[in-house]
Amino acid sequence: MPTSKTLYRWSGYLFMLPYLLAFAAFLVAPLLFGIGLSFYRWEMLSPVPPQWHGLGNYSEALTDTYFWKAVWATLRFVIMQVPLNIGLALLIALAVNEIPRGAQAFFRASFFFPTIVSISVAGILWRWFYSSEFGLFNAFLSPFGWKAPWITDPAWAMKSIVMMTLWWTVGGAFVILLAGLHQIPAHYYEAAAIDGANVFQRFINVTIPSLRPVLLFVVVMNIIGSFQVFGQTFMITRGGPEHSTRSLVQYIYDQAFGNYRMGYGAAMSWLLFVIIAVISFAQFRIMREER
Amino acid sequence: MGLGGVGANVSARPPQNNNHAAAPRADGWRSIDAITGKAWFWFALVVILCAAPYAAYQAVQLSGGGNVTIRYWNGFTGPDGRTMLRLVRRFERENPGISVVMQRIDWATYYNKLFVAGIGDRAPDLFVLHADMTPRFQQAGFMKTMDHMFSPEWGMSLADFDDNVTRYQKVGGCYYGIPLDIHMFGLYYNKKLFREAGIVDKRGEARPPQTSGEFLDAARRLTKPPRWGFVFTWMRNVAYTMMLQWGGAFFENDGAKCVMNNPENVTAMSFCRDLIAKYKVAPSPENFDAWIGFRQGKVGMVLEGVWMLADLKKQTDLEYGGAPVPQFGPRQADFTSAHVLCMRKGLDGRKLDAVSRLVKFLSDNSLDWAEGGQVPARRSLRETPRFRAMEPQWQFSRQIPYVSFHPFTPMFGEYTSELDYMAERVLRGTATPEEALKTAQDKINEALERRRQMLERGGKL
Repeated sequence: MPTSKTLYRWSGYLFMLPYLLAFAAFLVAPLLFGIGLSFYRWEMLSPVPPQWHGLGNYSEALTDTYFWKAVWATLRFVIMQVPLNIGLALLIALAVNEIPRGAQAFFRASFFFPTIVSISVAGILWRWFYSSEFGLFNAFLSPFGWKAPWITDPAWAMKSIVMMTLWWTVGGAFVILLAGLHQIPAHYYEAAAIDGANVFQRFINVTIPSLRPVLLFVVVMNIIGSFQVFGQTFMITRGGPEHSTRSLVQYIYDQAFGNYRMGYGAAMSWLLFVIIAVISFAQFRIMREER
Repeated sequence: MGLGGVGANVSARPPQNNNHAAAPRADGWRSIDAITGKAWFWFALVVILCAAPYAAYQAVQLSGGGNVTIRYWNGFTGPDGRTMLRLVRRFERENPGISVVMQRIDWATYYNKLFVAGIGDRAPDLFVLHADMTPRFQQAGFMKTMDHMFSPEWGMSLADFDDNVTRYQKVGGCYYGIPLDIHMFGLYYNKKLFREAGIVDKRGEARPPQTSGEFLDAARRLTKPPRWGFVFTWMRNVAYTMMLQWGGAFFENDGAKCVMNNPENVTAMSFCRDLIAKYKVAPSPENFDAWIGFRQGKVGMVLEGVWMLADLKKQTDLEYGGAPVPQFGPRQADFTSAHVLCMRKGLDGRKLDAVSRLVKFLSDNSLDWAEGGQVPARRSLRETPRFRAMEPQWQFSRQIPYVSFHPFTPMFGEYTSELDYMAERVLRGTATPEEALKTAQDKINEALERRRQMLERGGKL
């Protein structure tokens, strides 16, 4: 039986153990396994065992038209979603920040509420809303003679996904930005007002610089999350029409768990990792230099 | 309790005096040092007492006594799942000593989970596959042959199944699945809209179309935007049905080469596109949600699977009928699939006996299963008055002599996703049928070539 002294010494690790075990089993081990896997040609339904394929999976991805189509779809989503999401969240946060603190709780909860809805539920709902012939949105538009091809036209589909994502996720960024706004001392604004700064100047010269660390966090997390977009496109459009909303994560899923090409799926996952890592690193550098 | 308090206690060096260590802390919690030998004893005792029943259960199982538990997986998460559960419960009542743990998993993720469980040697004892998946799963090596079900001991007859339905279940001379049902496509039509449009028989009843001409005539008369004569729901299978009707080929050499870009398939896909662009009796395809339009009474006709009956049966304000798919092309043909019951490799002894008994029970009672919106796979059951009274199912079942499964190919995932893409491009008008079919053919052949290389390197060719 361990002595109390030994137990005491190890107690911290013991408390961490459940999480560490889960972390090692479900994150570190698959990550390492995935690296190895990406160098193998392993098709699970094939009667032959995995074969060493070197960089073959990577070179296949780089010449795969569907891979690049998925990269482009993901990029389009990121480019549209991130600025809109953060801009809208900031706008709402600024507006809510102007009302008395006691009343803010209601708005905080209201805007945050969609975030807690599961993507399966939200996805099915919005798919029905977007239905061109029989959906809710077009039912509202039809008295005016309009009918939008929300998710049936490749030119519209990704924009519709972005719109749904804004509804679903803007609350998360809004809550963080509102908390950031609360941290800005009121006397900064008072000093700026005394110096004659108008509302816009106060926003540019006080709010934005003071919010920078929070903004950096929100932007980086938003970009990483956006590159991993899957649930919305999977539930609403299944990647269609004509693969126009098939994100890279969905393509990886399709290859790995639809066609059981584990090696190829792992290689594309690592390519996605590299893309996200490069962009996040660049972002940190830019924000740090600005500071 | 503040976080600071916790941090301070954990990071401090342990006190040297045990009496001091055992003293209660100011925050009311007992220090870890206070866990005495007595406490460890009680803890160990509780663990042993909890584990004992499980150990006893395992011992009984190993010694061959006690209940047999069957793990049964399927993808029946809709109303069909409740029907299946009722059947399973009845089986348990009629077979004391056998219990069934049925797990229902959505089809979208079912195959992933089943596959991962299978290759990890944790496959359920009994599981359901779609008929065209059997060759792929058999190849993965975790399925047991079910030839014994056709032995005198179990009394099932191969002759009671249609040959075109059991063909897929035969791999290397052995049967790996027992078909439970056949679920084919058929024509659903809105009787009320038909009557309003004057598409009726001599008795004034709605008359479903049987030929291409009748279909187009009905669709034109039914189309009054926002009401449509027809909608595409599951594009892949509508396109496949059409291509079958024009006699188009898909593969050569036992699935080794894709040849789907041929004049017959081009004609079939052109006809599909014409329904939207030329005849204007169908809207540009959405996705599966166009089915909602039929349920809302805004669509006159739709080609869908018999399984959708379960969805319609819940609806009391829709007057619908079911009929065979009209003959659009030079020959009759229709897409079908089937649910088949499969066993995991390694089943033997009492477990095998229990699972076989369940398979026989489900097959014998597949008329109950059919009530929920299926067609029994067994011919003898389809010939009963009870099945004849199931109107839409019986109408759909008339197509059995000429139904076809998707063609066999080891690259089934690639094949279906390319078929989806091809149908979508043609129906939306973003590619001509020739272009879309060529792309699909090239992509599928790329996948087949990849597989050929892999097998060659693995010494399997």
